[in-house]
Amino acid sequence: MGDSQQHYVERWISRALRIGVWSSAALMIAGLLVVWISGSTPAMPSENPSPGELFSQLFSSSVNGVTLMFSGLVLLMLTPFLRVLTAAVGFLAEKDVKFVVVSCVVFCMLLGELIFSLR
Amino acid sequence: MTFSSLLLLFFGGIVVGTMGAMLGLGGGVFLVPFLALVFGLPMHQAIATSILAVIATSSAGAAMNVERHIVNLRLGMVLEIATVIGAIFGGVSANLLSGPVLAKIFAALLLSVSCMMIWGTRHRGPDGTTFQNGAFPGSYKDEATGTVVTYTVKRVPFAMLVSLVAGNISGLLGVGGGIFKVPAMHMISGVPIKAATATSNFMIGVTAAASAFIYFAHGHMNPLIAAPAALGVLSGSFFGVSINRRIRGDALAWVFAVVLLLISLRMFWR
Repeated sequence: MGDSQQHYVERWISRALRIGVWSSAALMIAGLLVVWISGSTPAMPSENPSPGELFSQLFSSSVNGVTLMFSGLVLLMLTPFLRVLTAAVGFLAEKDVKFVVVSCVVFCMLLGELIFSLR
Repeated sequence: MTFSSLLLLFFGGIVVGTMGAMLGLGGGVFLVPFLALVFGLPMHQAIATSILAVIATSSAGAAMNVERHIVNLRLGMVLEIATVIGAIFGGVSANLLSGPVLAKIFAALLLSVSCMMIWGTRHRGPDGTTFQNGAFPGSYKDEATGTVVTYTVKRVPFAMLVSLVAGNISGLLGVGGGIFKVPAMHMISGVPIKAATATSNFMIGVTAAASAFIYFAHGHMNPLIAAPAALGVLSGSFFGVSINRRIRGDALAWVFAVVLLLISLRMFWR
């Protein structure tokens, strides 16, 4: 395993985490600003929207502060998924099969929890 | 909810995030009592909000520590198998327990954290007993001394067991669990304290994500509460880390240990 290769993997994991955290923070800040500018807090949906519903609402004309904040939270919850997936790809690039398997095991458990919770 | 409540959540998040980072505990230990006692939030919602704050602070901190090579990536990934299993069970069992029961378990956790902090100020063992013939070799440059620290990890199964328990506490109570993992990795497995702290912090984001969707599915995540609180804790964690670099001392640990003890009593008789 080359040292430079490992630096490459670590850089990618670091980048994945930064993208996840700052884009989710930007969505949450945007949501708070929309609530502040509109001067009223919109009513909470009676049921939690699914990530798919949030995604379609986000790009529709009915987007409001709560939708933006909700999307930011879901993106934040998905950031560790992205980090584990990036690690798996990184270890694959290093041809470190053992840790590709370890990353995949962690990812499958997270995915199992996600599917089990939202089913 | 009024806009002033959102601001209070944000600034409250800054204060508890700063306090948590100053002690290296993460925000959860102070955020859950803040939300439950000051805001009167149900325990499940307070824990769910804390889990989101933990993901945010862990991810932001890990982004820096991974690049600086302080995190032992391979050790972290292996221990995550245990923390994720623990967190899933913790998340499922938390949603089977009532709020008052969770509050009492949380009070017991605060009590043990408080005792560990006091114990830590009185029993400071020799630092830097590293092993060179174990697993997961790691090395990083210690910025304080300018030297390169190399080490390997001993007693990995024990570290996995502690990680399982820490993951369970994370899923059940919404805290990171670093207070248990860091001493175990450092004192039992021979991981230098900086690497142990960074690796633990790296793991808690994934650990928290393992129970986050369980709370989400049960409707415990209120974006109007979680978004400002998570943003506040994230901002506070940056202040806390920079203050932590300048202020160190047992007096601080004692003050916070007493504060945690009082919060613990208040949570117990909530």
